[in-house]
Amino acid sequence: MKKRSIWAVFLIVMTVILSLAACSQQDAKETAATKDDKKVFTFSWSGDIGDLNPHTYFPNEFYSQAMVYESLVYYSEGGEIKPWLAKSWDVSEDGKEYIFHLRDDVMFSDGTAFNAAIVKKNFDTVLDNREQHDWIELINQINSTEVIDNYTFKLTLHNAYYPTLQELTYVRPLRFVAESAFPASGDTFKDGLTAPIGTGPWVLKEHKENEYAIFERNDHYWGEKPKVDEVFVKVIKDGESRVLAFEKGELDMIFGNGVISQDSFKFLKESGKYETKISDPTATRTLLFNTNRETMSNKNIRLALQHAFNKDAVIDHIFYGIENKADTLFPQNLTYTDVAVDPYEYDVEKAKALLDEAGWKTVEGKEFREKDGQPLQLELLLISTDNIQKSIAEFAQGDLRKIGIDVKLTSQELNTFWTTAFDGNYDILFTATWAVPFDPHSYLASITTNSSGGGPDYYALSGLSFKKELDARIKQVLLTTNEEDRIQQYHKILTMLHEEAVYLPISYQSNIAVYKKNITGVNFLPQEVEIPTTKIDRIN
Amino acid sequence: MIRFICKRLLGAIPSIFGLSIITFLLVQLIPGNPVLTYLRVSNIQASEETVQAIRIEMGLDQPLVTQYIQWLTNILQFDFGTSFISKRSVLDEIMLHFIPTMQLTAVAFILIIVCSIPLGVTSALHKGKWFDRLTQLFAFSSVSLPTFWLGFLLMYLFSVQLNLLPVLGKGSVAHFVLPATTLALGYIGTYLRLIRAGTIEVLKEPFVLYAQARGLNKRTIVWRHILKKAASPTLTGLGMSFGNMLGGTFIVENIFAWPGMGKLLVESIVNQDYPMIQACVLLLGLAFVLINLIVDIFCGLLDPRIRLAGDR
Repeated sequence: MKKRSIWAVFLIVMTVILSLAACSQQDAKETAATKDDKKVFTFSWSGDIGDLNPHTYFPNEFYSQAMVYESLVYYSEGGEIKPWLAKSWDVSEDGKEYIFHLRDDVMFSDGTAFNAAIVKKNFDTVLDNREQHDWIELINQINSTEVIDNYTFKLTLHNAYYPTLQELTYVRPLRFVAESAFPASGDTFKDGLTAPIGTGPWVLKEHKENEYAIFERNDHYWGEKPKVDEVFVKVIKDGESRVLAFEKGELDMIFGNGVISQDSFKFLKESGKYETKISDPTATRTLLFNTNRETMSNKNIRLALQHAFNKDAVIDHIFYGIENKADTLFPQNLTYTDVAVDPYEYDVEKAKALLDEAGWKTVEGKEFREKDGQPLQLELLLISTDNIQKSIAEFAQGDLRKIGIDVKLTSQELNTFWTTAFDGNYDILFTATWAVPFDPHSYLASITTNSSGGGPDYYALSGLSFKKELDARIKQVLLTTNEEDRIQQYHKILTMLHEEAVYLPISYQSNIAVYKKNITGVNFLPQEVEIPTTKIDRIN
Repeated sequence: MIRFICKRLLGAIPSIFGLSIITFLLVQLIPGNPVLTYLRVSNIQASEETVQAIRIEMGLDQPLVTQYIQWLTNILQFDFGTSFISKRSVLDEIMLHFIPTMQLTAVAFILIIVCSIPLGVTSALHKGKWFDRLTQLFAFSSVSLPTFWLGFLLMYLFSVQLNLLPVLGKGSVAHFVLPATTLALGYIGTYLRLIRAGTIEVLKEPFVLYAQARGLNKRTIVWRHILKKAASPTLTGLGMSFGNMLGGTFIVENIFAWPGMGKLLVESIVNQDYPMIQACVLLLGLAFVLINLIVDIFCGLLDPRIRLAGDR
C-alpha cells in the first residue's frame, strides 16, 4: 500500500511535467514549417513589440510601429520632408493652416480605404489625450482638424509653428490605424486597439509575447513592396547571447545602438565572416552639469572639466573608434546645427589654471584640491546597468583625480536614476540627445519645460543667470517664419550653450549593423529608430 | 496517513498568511515614489493634481492596514489587480511568465534527481576509488562555476561549435537542454555529495548487515533499504532548492532568452510596479510552501517515524 502511493504521486508529477513540456513542443513545429518554403529574414530585438499601437508608448517599440504604421509625410536624408501618405500639401501665408492632399491608392491591410475621414479620426483620438503627448509641441499647437473632401485633410494651428511637418514624421503618435482597429469607445490610448491594422509594408502575422513576432508582407501595400516574405523578430535581451545566436546562424542581422558590446562588434568585424556597417552620427552622448550645485555654478569649474576630459582616449579605448568624438551638443550634419565654435581641447595645464582661478587650490600632502577647507568632490550619476556609462565614468574618475578632483560615482537603477536626475541630486549626469527627427528643435524645447516628457536639462540649467533669456529664445525660434532668421537664432542658442560649457559632449552615437554575407540592402534610414526591413533581401 | 497530510496542510496556513504580510510590507520599503515612476512611464506630466489623482486611483492614500486588507480580500478572489506599467491584469501576465519558468525549473529538478542519486550512491559504494574522486572533482567544479559563465560556455560549445542544440529561445524539447543543464549543474554537485555522505552513514548501520545476513542481493539492499533512509535529508534540501531555483532563474532566463518569471520580476522591481511585485513574490512564496509541503509528505511516506510522530 505504502509503496503504491509513492509511485502514484511520482506518476502524477511526471505526467504534469511531461504535458507541460509537450505544450511547448507544438509551437516549435509550427514555426519550423513556415521557414522552409518562404524567404524569411530574422533579427533580434531586446524587448517585446508590445500591443503594436501607434498612439501609445511603452511597451511599444519604435521599429515595429514604423513597420506597420505610416505618417502623412516622410523624414528623408538631410531632414528633407517628402510626400508619403499625403502626396502634396499647401501651407497658408500665415503658416497656421496646412492642407494635405492624400494619396487615393492607399489601403489598410484589412482592405479598407485610407481617406481624410480616417485621418481625422486618428488625429482626434490622439488629441483627446493631449496631456499624454504634450512633449510634442505640435500637439499643443493644433487648433482643429477638418475633412475638406474624401482625400483632402486640413490642420489648423494656433500659431505658425515651423516644425509641424517634421513632427508629423514621428513614429508616434500621429500615425494611422484602420476603422476596424478602433475599440468600441473610440479611445485608442485608454482602451487599445482591437487589431494592429495599418497601411505600412508589413502586417503582424503571429506574436508570442516575449518570444517572437512574425511580420508578413502587406499585399495591399501602395509603395515599394518588401523583398522578403516574412520578417521574424526574436526577443533576446542579452547582448552576448545575441552574438552567439548570430554566430550559430539563428539570426541574419544584428542592428541598433548598444545592442552588443563594443568588444563583440570588433570581434565579429575582424572575423571577416560577416558584413559590418556603422551609421552616420545620430544622437550625442553627453555629460550634463547641474548649475544649481554650488561648485558647478562656477563657470571656471565647468570649463576646467571640459579641458580635463580626455575624449580621444575614451574614443580609442572604450569605443574602439566605433563612435566619433563629439565637440558640439548636436552633430554638425543636422539642419541648423552647423555652428562655428571653438572646441574645448584636452589641456590639463589649462584645466589646472582654471581651477586655481576658481579658488580651488592644491593642498600640500592632500590628494584633492580644497577651497575654504572643503575638498573638491563632484558626484557623477550613472545608470547601473549601462556598461558604457560605467567605463566612461571610471575613466573620467581616474583622469580628474590627476588634477585634484574627487569624482564620486553614484550608480542607480534606471527609474531611480531618472527620479534623481529630475530632482537634480547630482553634479554631473550622463544623458543623450534624442537624434533626428527630434534634434535639435524637440530636444531644445524640452530644456524650456519641467515636464516629465522633457528632460532633466530644465532643472540642471536653471542655475544659469540667462536661463529665462535662453528659454524665450528657444520658444521664439520654434515660431519663426523666416529661414534666415531661424538659422541665426539657432546659432545664437547653440553658441550660448557651448560658451557656458554646461554640456560636455563625448561622442556621437551610431547604429551598427552586422549581417551575413548573403543579405543585401542593409542601409541606415534617416530616423535612427527605423530598421530598413523593406529594402533587405537575402540571396540563397 | 490522511490525518498527517491534513495536519501538514493546516500547518501551512499560518506560513502563507505570514508570507502575505511580509510580501506586502517589503514592497513598501522600496525607495522611490511609484506614482512618479508610473507617470514617467506613461508620459504624463507630473503636476501636483495628477500625482494626487493617481495616488487615490492606486489606493496609495489609504492607511497601510486598509491597503493590506483590501489587497488580501482581492487576492482571495484571485484579483491581483492591474499592473501599473503594462496596465494589464497581473494574473494574466504572471501566468504567461510563470509557466515557462515552472517548466524549466521542473526539468532542471528532474535532472538533479536523475543525476545526483545514482552518482552519489555509486561513489559512496566505491568510496576512495577513482570513480569517487572523479565525482568529487565534478562536484567541486560545478558548484564553483558562476551560472552566467557556464551558460555561455555550454552555449558556445554545444550550439555554436558542435551545432547540436539550439542557442536560445523556447520551443522544442531540445531548447530545454542547455538552460536546464545550466540551472541544474551546481545543484547536482551539491546533492551528489549529500547523497554520498548519507549513504556512507547508512552503510554502517546494523540493518544493512542484517539485510546482508538475510542473503538479499546487493542491488535490493542499496536501492530499497539504504537509499530510502539516506534520501530523507536530501529530499528536504531539494524542496528548498526548488523554491530557490524558481526565484533564481533570472540569469539563466536572460542568457537563453527564456520568456520567464525572473525577467518579469526584475523589471517590475525596476519599474516599482507594486501589484506585480507583490503577486510575483507571493506566488513564488506559495510555490515554495507547497513544494515543501509535498516534500514533507514524501518524507512521511518514506519514514514511518516522521508520520507517526505527527499522529501522536
